[in-house]
Amino acid sequence: MTTDDVRANSATTGGPTGPVPAAVTDAAAEAAADAAVAAERVDATAWRRMHPVTPAIKAWKVFVAVLAIVGYQLLDNLDALEQVRHVWLVLVAALVAVGLVGLVYSALAWRSTRFAVTDDAVHLRSGVLFRQQRQARLDRLQAVDVVQPLLARLVGLSELKLEVAGGAGSAVSLAFLKEDDAEVLRAELLALAAGLQRPHAVRAEAEPEALPAALPRAAFADAPERAMYEVPMPRLLVATLRSGAMVGLAVLAVGAVVVSILSRDVGAAFVLVPGLFASAGFIWTRINQGASFRAALSPDGIRLRHGLTESRAQTVPPGRVQAIRLSQSPWWRARDWWRIEINVAGYGHGEDQARETVLHPVATLEEAMVAVWLVLPDLGVDSPQATLDAALHGRDQDGGFTAAPRAARWVDPIGWRRHGVLVTERALLARSGRVFRQLDVVPHERTQSLGLAQGPLQRRLGLASFVVHSTPGPVSPSVAHLDAKVAAALLDEQAARARTARAAAVPEQWMTGPSA
Amino acid sequence: MSEPFDPADVTWTRVSPRLAAARITTTSIVFGVPLLILVVVAVLTGEPWVWLPVAVLAAVLLWLVLLIGRQVRAIGYAERADDLLVRRGIMFRELVVVPYGRMQYVDVSAGPLARKFGIAAVQLHTASPATTATIDGLAPEEAARLRERLASRGEARLAGL
Repeated sequence: MTTDDVRANSATTGGPTGPVPAAVTDAAAEAAADAAVAAERVDATAWRRMHPVTPAIKAWKVFVAVLAIVGYQLLDNLDALEQVRHVWLVLVAALVAVGLVGLVYSALAWRSTRFAVTDDAVHLRSGVLFRQQRQARLDRLQAVDVVQPLLARLVGLSELKLEVAGGAGSAVSLAFLKEDDAEVLRAELLALAAGLQRPHAVRAEAEPEALPAALPRAAFADAPERAMYEVPMPRLLVATLRSGAMVGLAVLAVGAVVVSILSRDVGAAFVLVPGLFASAGFIWTRINQGASFRAALSPDGIRLRHGLTESRAQTVPPGRVQAIRLSQSPWWRARDWWRIEINVAGYGHGEDQARETVLHPVATLEEAMVAVWLVLPDLGVDSPQATLDAALHGRDQDGGFTAAPRAARWVDPIGWRRHGVLVTERALLARSGRVFRQLDVVPHERTQSLGLAQGPLQRRLGLASFVVHSTPGPVSPSVAHLDAKVAAALLDEQAARARTARAAAVPEQWMTGPSA
Repeated sequence: MSEPFDPADVTWTRVSPRLAAARITTTSIVFGVPLLILVVVAVLTGEPWVWLPVAVLAAVLLWLVLLIGRQVRAIGYAERADDLLVRRGIMFRELVVVPYGRMQYVDVSAGPLARKFGIAAVQLHTASPATTATIDGLAPEEAARLRERLASRGEARLAGL
């Protein structure tokens, strides 16, 4: 669903319109701007095509997928296969046919795909049989990613992905573009989304021939960036090996050895095989995604670069991070390492979630504080270091937290002293977990709605759980088992605080200043 | 211990008792058909032990009917100056606060059975799927009024994500 769908939806149900810049309170002006976007006509010369090699790469993907499925099926029926004459000839012919069909289809798709960038939106036309035209408003831009799958990387192409907060499948994907073009386009989109004006001389100079293959010229320079942290490979390897998957595998291995000794049968060791595959997969994914992880700060927001086979460069503009979660498993406690994940509207749909939503795969304590600072430069307390330290390691009232009362030990005998909440001027910190430590941070202006829940046991003990609703993603902040009266007061105060924070929030076009 | 879910300055609006009637109808159909079949089987076979599941099923049905009445009475909503409160549940209580400025869109829906009973449901959507602010069992005109009201209030307090 695109933002337009959301708007159409709200129009039919008579509901409020979609998300709108917080700074613009004049509804009339906003409506006028909407009309301008809707009425905007895209210059015929502004339409551009993807890179001509695109079909080959996309066809290759289809080919590999088909090969994997067919290969898997054939392995099961090897005996039946041997009865067919000229087995290899038939197989090769079939594969060539599949490849050709994929190539032809991808070529057709490429022919009908065009995109254009205007001052307010990105337009994408696609579809062979069912034509689709999608328009993503730049002021709704949540993040811009440059993704390079292995094959595209080899031939110097990349995919540009624009995230808008429209739910699953709402991202606008421009695949594939030349590496340099993608970089230029990213800078341009971010600058336009930030509210900078396009220099008009450059725009007029676009070549008159239809569909120029190359971009006219860099209209905006890439925003300067400052490196913040990177993850050394040894640390990533050690951290991944010290994980639940490895511990599980070790337990399984010991169990298998014991069983095979007791039963005097080596066959028992084979129970290990699925576990081995699962943990190998897990470890590979973690290492592949976290390899050469680097973070930088630029006026355009947070820049994250990572990936071994598939490299990904993410840009999350200021104010787009909805919530942060820091978590630590018991195996990381000795080194005090933390995994940091974020909620960004638009991220976290489909299989890419684990790749997109990591702010730091394995952070030392200092780096964790830097990562929190990246998202929330002002935590709203005098000493952010001390507060974060208490939030990550402390319990009870450490660091000014409001903790769960003693009665909570009946519902959570192990972790009750870690349940706690701290409300600062800028954010809400929710602390939990004694074995698996966890800290969620939600800026007040990003709170969607609030909830209170109470089960029968909690009611007997005078407890209630407080929930903060955030956009879809890995972070779902909540504080369990608070004193019921405290939770109710928190609900009331937090509603008011979120309201005032929203009124004073940074505008969506982050370069235009608060008075936009 | 009702205070946390019943703030002092809030007057709750209850939903229509017709919702209870609608839910009892659905439950009766779901449980009534197997009950009837069991009764027929019990009568035909004449075995005394077949009456045991019949009794159990009837007891469950009776309990559910009583429970539904209480559950529906526990549903309430309140329009405050800046947000909407929705509460529900007796055993497992829930209270949700949705700021008007956070609403992305409002759904009004009514199935065939609900239309027969003259009720509709209003659901508020924010950018978070966790927001479970559904008010079921509103009279159609109240649902329309609430939708308009929420829409205009949302308009006045617009906010981005």
